[in-house]
Amino acid sequence: MSDFVVRLLRLDRRIIFLLIALATLLPLLYPVSLPIRVSPEVQRVYDYIEKLPAGSLVLLSMDFEPGGKPELYPMAVALLRHAFQKNLKVLGLTLWPAGAGLAETAFTEVAREKGKEKGVDYVFLGYAPGDASAVISMGQDFHAAFPADYYGTKTADIPLLNKVRSLRDMQYVISLSVGFPGIDTWYVYGKEKYGFELGGGCTAVSAPRFYPLLDTGQINGLLGGLRGAAEYEILLGVKGKAMAGMAAQSATHFVIIFLIVTCNALYFLTGQARGRQR
Amino acid sequence: MIFWKRTFPLLLTFLLGVTFTVQYYVPHPASESLLTEVSVWGQIIGGFAILLGVGSLIRSHYVKIKRREAGWGYSGVMFLSMLIMLGAGFWSGGKTESTSFGWLYNYVFVALQGTMFSLLAFFVASAAYRAFRARTPEATVLLVAAILVMWGRVPLGEHLVSGVGYIAEWIMSVPNTAAQRGILIGVSLGGIATSIKIICGIERSYLGKD
Repeated sequence: MSDFVVRLLRLDRRIIFLLIALATLLPLLYPVSLPIRVSPEVQRVYDYIEKLPAGSLVLLSMDFEPGGKPELYPMAVALLRHAFQKNLKVLGLTLWPAGAGLAETAFTEVAREKGKEKGVDYVFLGYAPGDASAVISMGQDFHAAFPADYYGTKTADIPLLNKVRSLRDMQYVISLSVGFPGIDTWYVYGKEKYGFELGGGCTAVSAPRFYPLLDTGQINGLLGGLRGAAEYEILLGVKGKAMAGMAAQSATHFVIIFLIVTCNALYFLTGQARGRQR
Repeated sequence: MIFWKRTFPLLLTFLLGVTFTVQYYVPHPASESLLTEVSVWGQIIGGFAILLGVGSLIRSHYVKIKRREAGWGYSGVMFLSMLIMLGAGFWSGGKTESTSFGWLYNYVFVALQGTMFSLLAFFVASAAYRAFRARTPEATVLLVAAILVMWGRVPLGEHLVSGVGYIAEWIMSVPNTAAQRGILIGVSLGGIATSIKIICGIERSYLGKD
């Protein structure tokens, strides 16, 4: 008996990998829809955008690379859909060099879907190098930080940016962050000095880090991981990629819980067996 | 020589450190325009830092190939990939929409980086099975909290046990926030102390070994 338990404790990791692969794949192939409760931190981001008057300036900083795409891209799409539905003017950029392509795709696709015009309803500025310096530079003089947009058009010639002088002109800034630079950079070097309201989105693994900022009001809301994106889709009434992924995430979480409980049960079983032998 | 390698950088650090600490508290137009100018400089330097990174990457992989170190073939793949991406990037003028660069970015780079990140799920599961054990009372608390959060953060968990979502939310908003706040204050105090040490020239590791 104890030999069998020890063998189970040393389970080949390929079996664990297979379980995780199946738990991810099967719900994606055979989707199951489950009700998702909206958390207060997501609701606050939604409510803030909902209350902004049409024409307000929103800056969406997509501070992630392809590694963060599964969790953060659906967030970006949901936020853009909401902003365009509300006829807000959206400025987009990224503080991560490899994130420009993804951010541009999100802007182009959602703008096309909502019939929005480049330069009038939205501007995509591309990658801003310099981390904190980039944020300070935008806060001091937006046109000095971005002499041209992602497509090479001079920002001075873009109608939407005519009245934009600095970050102080933004009614809302949202950073979707996979690490540093991200939410911290926007809070420390941006909001604190230039006084705009800041919301955030991050991967599930980094969400616990931002809860102190929520409590103090340093960020007014937070979308945490795929769940945060799915909650936002619920609020918008749109079935997007995040909701589709939640069944897979549910299954993987339960496989991991099952593995942890099993290994602990086996651990105690072997411990008791050893105790009896003594 | 020592002046340019040690004394000058130390003086420059001290001067700029003190100037911009004071600048923060002086909202005079001259002070603000100085910050504007320097922040643009910061962006330019940030841009050049990428070149430095690429240079360092090329150097380390070149050395690997030259010395025929273990896995030197992968360094060759790195050079080949870099050349292909660079070539496609220049050819497409850095644009991603309907270009070869965009195709490589979307179907190779995004897919590869996404794969690297998603591998975490497999290793986390394997590591949890092998190492996440209730060996001590502290580990037991961590384990119970982890299970409750994992259970409560997914719709299936809330569907099976109503109310577990609120428990997960409480764990995140109260004990987690308290611990994270402690870490944040500690890290911030450490950051301030290190900054003062760098400005005053006590911490000099950024100057290098020479």
